[in-house]
Amino acid sequence: MDVNLLKRLIKMVENSGIAEFSVQEGDLKVKISKNSKTAMHHEIYSPHIQPPHNVATSSVPVAATEKELMEKSTNLYEIKSPIVGTFYRAPAPDADPYIQIGDTVSEGTVLCIVEAMKLMNEIESDVSGKIIKILAENATPVEYNQPLFLIEKN
Amino acid sequence: MFIIEDFDIKLDTDYVGRNFFYFDEIDSTNSFLISSKDITENGSLVLAEYQLKGRGRRQRDWVSVKEQSLLFSILLNKEPEILEPNLLNLTASLSVAQAIENMHQLDVELKWPNDVLVKKKKIAGILLESVSQGNTLEKVVVGVGINVNQPNFKGKYQIPPTSIKIETKRNVNREKLLSEVLNIFEENMGKLISNKNIILHDWRARCKMIGEKIKIIDNETERFGIFDDINEKGFLLFRTPDKTETIHFGDVSLR
Repeated sequence: MDVNLLKRLIKMVENSGIAEFSVQEGDLKVKISKNSKTAMHHEIYSPHIQPPHNVATSSVPVAATEKELMEKSTNLYEIKSPIVGTFYRAPAPDADPYIQIGDTVSEGTVLCIVEAMKLMNEIESDVSGKIIKILAENATPVEYNQPLFLIEKN
Repeated sequence: MFIIEDFDIKLDTDYVGRNFFYFDEIDSTNSFLISSKDITENGSLVLAEYQLKGRGRRQRDWVSVKEQSLLFSILLNKEPEILEPNLLNLTASLSVAQAIENMHQLDVELKWPNDVLVKKKKIAGILLESVSQGNTLEKVVVGVGINVNQPNFKGKYQIPPTSIKIETKRNVNREKLLSEVLNIFEENMGKLISNKNIILHDWRARCKMIGEKIKIIDNETERFGIFDDINEKGFLLFRTPDKTETIHFGDVSLR
């Protein structure tokens, strides 16, 4: 890690309200924490983490936001088409769609039909969660493995 | 009345139709097998005398009259049978055509993807339904409706219907016909698995549309071209002046 970057990080943490901040790049782990009771406590009980720098700061939401984003991206799940065919959101032309954006689905909930050569393939969800996005247009052709739905897993 | 003993004595299969369910009345034999969590034996068969909600592609009605037709669905949930589900369409329609021809000496044609016709009239229809969880195909249900002993048909149809009785002027033994269809279907499944080209060849030989001008309708759009051939997946190769496209959906009719 670049020394200048490290200095900038320390400065950033110093000037903000962060109590503790850690970042990892390859094998190198950097933990910057404030010289408070919390930090001391943490060090005592985490003997394997050897922070190269230890600087006083207070807390800031940067780290938390990043963590949240990470969690969010691993929670997103794509349902893909198992066959080549035509994507239908409803069982019949005049029927209501199986699901809408925002709907909660569980394992086994029918999401759509993909038709190929009069094979009507019902696609069930294999996860529980919330429909975030519908990625294909009704009554249009879809390819094998084309993403159809984005689900935020529970 | 369907006499199961008469059917059973003629059935010569290992798995197709061995686990047999009979209903006087049911919503739909396909729906029953698709939604059933208890029936898991590969080749299980549901036969019903009457369907309250019989249907075809995109929920079009399939009309049935009690005890005059053969309405049944076969469950397939074992690999490699379900690895190429689209070819099951061709295999099923071919088997129905061969069985009707063997037993009743009718000239039976096939219409892409899976209608069974005699003199351009529909004598049998097939609707495949499958369930997949995420990317994995769990099971395929082959739904078959054969017009057997109907003396006539009332109402409006997309393709005019006929029955074996109308064509042969004779009453048909449904038990024997069903066992013949299943025997041939299982035999053809074996061919599909060992060498799918046999099925593709036999299917092509019965499809009079290949090489003809056809009309394709999908979502109310009509297009004209030549039915060039089917490819190794069973999809239709549609030739227009500027290109050849692979068609895997829609309604197809002779121009």
